[in-house]
Formats: sequence, structure tokens, C-alpha cells
Amino acid sequence: MLQTKGLSFSYNSSYIFTFPDILLEQGEDLLILGDSGVGKTTLIQILSGLLSPKSGVVELNGTRFQDLSSKSLDQFRGSNIGIVFQKSHFVRNLNMLDNLLLSLYLSKKPQDKQRVIHLLQEIGMSDKLNSFPEELSDGEQQRAAIATALIKKPDLILADEPTASLDDNNCQKTITLLKEQVSSTNAKLIVITHDQRLKDQFNKSIVL
Amino acid sequence: MNINRLSWINIIRNPFNSILSLLLMAFGIGIISLLILLNKSIEEKLYSNLNGIDMVIGAKGSPLQLILSSIYHLDNPTGNILLEEVNKITSNPMIELTIPLSLGDSYKGFRIVGTNHEYPKLYKVNLATGKFWDQAMEVVIGSNVVEACQLKIGSTFYSSHGFVEGGPIHNKYAFKVVGILDKSNTIIDQLILTNSESISKVHNHKDHSNHSHEIVEEECSVKNSVMITAMLVKFRSLVGLINFPRQVNETTNLQAVVPAFEINKLISLLGLGSQSINMIAFFIIVVSGLSIFISLYNSLKRRRYELALMRVHGATRFQLVRLVFQEGMIISILGLFVGILFSRIVLHIVSFFIVHNYKPYSIQLSLIKEELWMFPIVLFVGCTASLIPIIQAYRINIPKTLSNV
Repeated sequence: MLQTKGLSFSYNSSYIFTFPDILLEQGEDLLILGDSGVGKTTLIQILSGLLSPKSGVVELNGTRFQDLSSKSLDQFRGSNIGIVFQKSHFVRNLNMLDNLLLSLYLSKKPQDKQRVIHLLQEIGMSDKLNSFPEELSDGEQQRAAIATALIKKPDLILADEPTASLDDNNCQKTITLLKEQVSSTNAKLIVITHDQRLKDQFNKSIVL
Repeated sequence: MNINRLSWINIIRNPFNSILSLLLMAFGIGIISLLILLNKSIEEKLYSNLNGIDMVIGAKGSPLQLILSSIYHLDNPTGNILLEEVNKITSNPMIELTIPLSLGDSYKGFRIVGTNHEYPKLYKVNLATGKFWDQAMEVVIGSNVVEACQLKIGSTFYSSHGFVEGGPIHNKYAFKVVGILDKSNTIIDQLILTNSESISKVHNHKDHSNHSHEIVEEECSVKNSVMITAMLVKFRSLVGLINFPRQVNETTNLQAVVPAFEINKLISLLGLGSQSINMIAFFIIVVSGLSIFISLYNSLKRRRYELALMRVHGATRFQLVRLVFQEGMIISILGLFVGILFSRIVLHIVSFFIVHNYKPYSIQLSLIKEELWMFPIVLFVGCTASLIPIIQAYRINIPKTLSNV
């Protein structure tokens, strides 16, 4: 269960972002819609524990973020939260297989090569196992980024504008993939976007 | 996949930067290592050929020239001296051993030395085959002479005057090989040994007007007096070293030189030259450190997002620090080993070309103790070069980096 209460954040004293409370059960997904500048990325970073809020509480499966030291928060994030960014980035010197294995290594999960191959098959990229990130198209990169976030079977998946740079076809593919993968691992999914195309795809949504 | 593998992959996927830094490091280390090896082998060679010779008596002139000509057989002799006169000095209870040397001729560039049987014994060189000479014109040859001149027991040859090939030939008397010496890695390998009479026999039948020792001979004008070029002296105790040479130099017209002093002087002169080359090599190492720094710094600038991403995946600060540190260290340490290897290869090639003449290099493939101090230097350069990139990796601001795509 993911729960937030009374979250706010400010980069300077003149403006304070306040965010609505969120409650998300296992296997549920949530769309957060908002225009530029309303603090979408800030919210993602707070939910992932990268930023600490000015006020309020984030709690994932009974663990309050502010109770953890910064080192254990890093580890907690590594093993429990998968993040998909608007522009996908990888370790450029590693091929897809090694990128996924690195993600497992860093989150202290067993480096199961078969699982990596299986996941790449599921997202239709089994032929890209030995490709380097720069050799992939935008759509492929976005799917691969989802794979790096999903490989470690996180409990919560946060996606920050995952479709903003994609055409309609790739947008649909990406969102379907995300939802499929989330439901198959029984994780929670939060997608934050200004992309109106996604409005009808989610049961629950919040507008910032 | 782990941090070690990732740092290695980062190095090989960035070959130009890595190779540049590595080569610079290897170059600096290679030069220093080469100098150390050369200095050491030259020093060793110089001291090992002394073999207990405490003093050399010869004609007046340059002390270094006397040492070089009589011990190392490198320079021309300072002139000739009367054996009788030398014997007056050396019949002293302080002196344990004297070995006369008569020089002047050579065969195909190898010097013919007139001496007694004590000379090869001094260097602990034994016969490989044949016997030692027991009459004039019989010679025993060193192992390098055998190889280069294709001589065997029973071969005869004529000597030529002077020490370089192509001097006038003394074709009245032929030398005959009666023995071949074992290889000893000393100067003896380069020599043709005979008795003193052989040398004077060859020369007495020649017109002396061109000889450098003409004046000495005329002055002495003693019929049938034996001339030698130098006398090697070994003292019974080192006490003799203190006064004896000075006495000879002040009271006679002979020159007495202590080779150890002259060699020390020579080595400190050589040291000056190698010191300045050392400075240049150090400079190259510093530049290599700079190159490692620049390449780490640049790649980190490009990889900032990547490092933040790794943190998001659960990497600790320490893992990122290790990643960057290892990339710098792997290049430095590889450079060190490539440099050491490089110095060995160069030395091998150099010594391959110096076959005929005085061969000063014993090939040293294993690491020598004088080289060990290069290790801390390389570690220091590697650490310093990685320091700023490490701090950057440690202090990377994840949210800020991730939002500035």
C-alpha cells in the first residue's frame, strides 16, 4: 500500500507546491495529470524518496521514508521502486543485457539471465539483447527503459511522462506494456503526465 | 555484472582516451625503468670487473684513461713503463699480488694482452679446452673472441698494431691459439691473452718511430729492459690504499691510481646525465596523470545522468566512487606494467645490437628493487588524478541531475 499525506515542497520561499493525498492498493494504477510547472517531476521525486518533502509523509508498505537514513533509503528505493523517466537513459557502455543485469546487481537481486531474456522477449526486443542503447529507436528505448525498471520486480512503479516523446502508435504500445507488466507482477503503478492521450486508459486519476 | 566489470567495460569502450593515458604512463615509467636498469648494469659491470684490483700503476697521464685502458680495455693506454722500475715499488710487504699487462696489438678488434697466468685467475676464469701459454706467441682466447673470429685450437693469426681493425699488420710472427677460456661475463671474454714477451717480440722487430712509448724507451736507454703498459696491484690489507698511491705519484715518474675512486667519479658523472632524463620522465608521468584526470572528468560530465540513474537503481555513493576510482587506477597500473615491459623489450633490442664490442648489459627481466619506488608514485598519480572526479561522483545531486536531461 502506498499512502501520502499532506505533501508540500518548495524550491524557494516564494512558491510552495502542495500535492493531493494519494492512496494506492496493491495492483492498482493511478494517472496524475498536470500541465508543465505544476510540480509533476517534483512529486515523482518525492514519491521515489529522491527529494524529501517540506511537509507531509510518504509511506510504502508500512515504511515511512523519513524514518530511513539516506543510505537505507537508497537501498529501499533500489529494491522496491522502479522509475521510468521521460527520456530514457541507460549506461551507454553496456548492452541491453548488461544494463538489465546491472539494474539487478545494484538492487541486490540475483542476476538471473534467463529472466532478462524472458522479459526482453515479452516486450518484443529479444533480438536487442546485445544492442547498445544508442542503437535503439526512441520507442525501443522507452520499452527498454520500462524493462530496466521492471526487471527487479519493484513494488511501486513511477513513470514520469513515459509517452511524451512518442507517436500515437508507440504511446499505445508503451502504456499497454506498462499496465500488463504491472498487473503480472501485482505492483502499483503511478503515471504522471500532461499527455491527454492517456486520460481514458486509467481507472483512477488525479489532476494537479 | 558488477562494479569491477563495469569499470573495465568503461575503459575498453573508450579506447582512445584510455590508450592515450596508458601510453603516457607507460612511456614515463618505461624511461625511468630503462635508466634504472642501465645504470645498475653499468655499475655492476664496472665494479665486477675490478675483481679485487686495488691499484693500477702506469705511465703518467689521465687517471681515468689508465683505468679504462688497463681494467676495462676501452681507452688507449697512457704509455709504457719499465718493469724494473715498477718492481722497485712493488717489492713491498704490503702488496699481495701484481699482474703486469702489456698492450698495443689487437686482432679483429679484440685486444691482445701480454700478462701472466694470474690475470685469468684473478677473474676466476678457467680453460674450456687446451692449455695456458707457456712460451711466447702462444695465446689463450676469450669466449667472445672464439665466436667472432672463428678461431680454434691450433689456429694461427697475425696481430695488427693498435686497437681498431685495419691497423698495420705485424706479419713477422704469428700467434698460435693453444687454449680457449670459459665464458665468464667479464672483460676476459673479450681478450686474447699471451705472455709479455710475445708483445715485445712482435714490437722489437718493428720501426719504433711511430710508437707513443718512444720517448720513454730512449730516456731509459737500457738494453733489453722489459716494457709493460700497466701493473695491476692487490694489497694485503686496505691500509696500503691510503698512502701508497700518493707516494708513488709524488716520488716517481709513474702514476698510481685507485680504480674504485675513479669509477665512483665516473658513475656520479653518468648520474648527472640520467638525472636530467629522469626529470623528463617524471614530467611525462605527471602529464599522464593529467590525461587520466581529463579523460575521467570528461567522461563523468557525459555520464552524470548515468551515475544518477545508477543511484536510482540502488547504487550507494561508495559504489560510484569505487567505479570512478577503479577506472583511474586500472589505467595507471596497466601503464606501469606496460612501461616496465617496454623497458625490458628496449633493453633486449639494444643488447642484441651490441654483440661484438664491450657488452655492458646483462638482461634483467625480473623486477629489481630500485624500481619498486615507482609503484607508490604511480598509485599517487592515479589517486590524485581521480580525486576530483571521485568527489563529483560522491556529491552528485540525483534529483537535479535527473531533471536536467
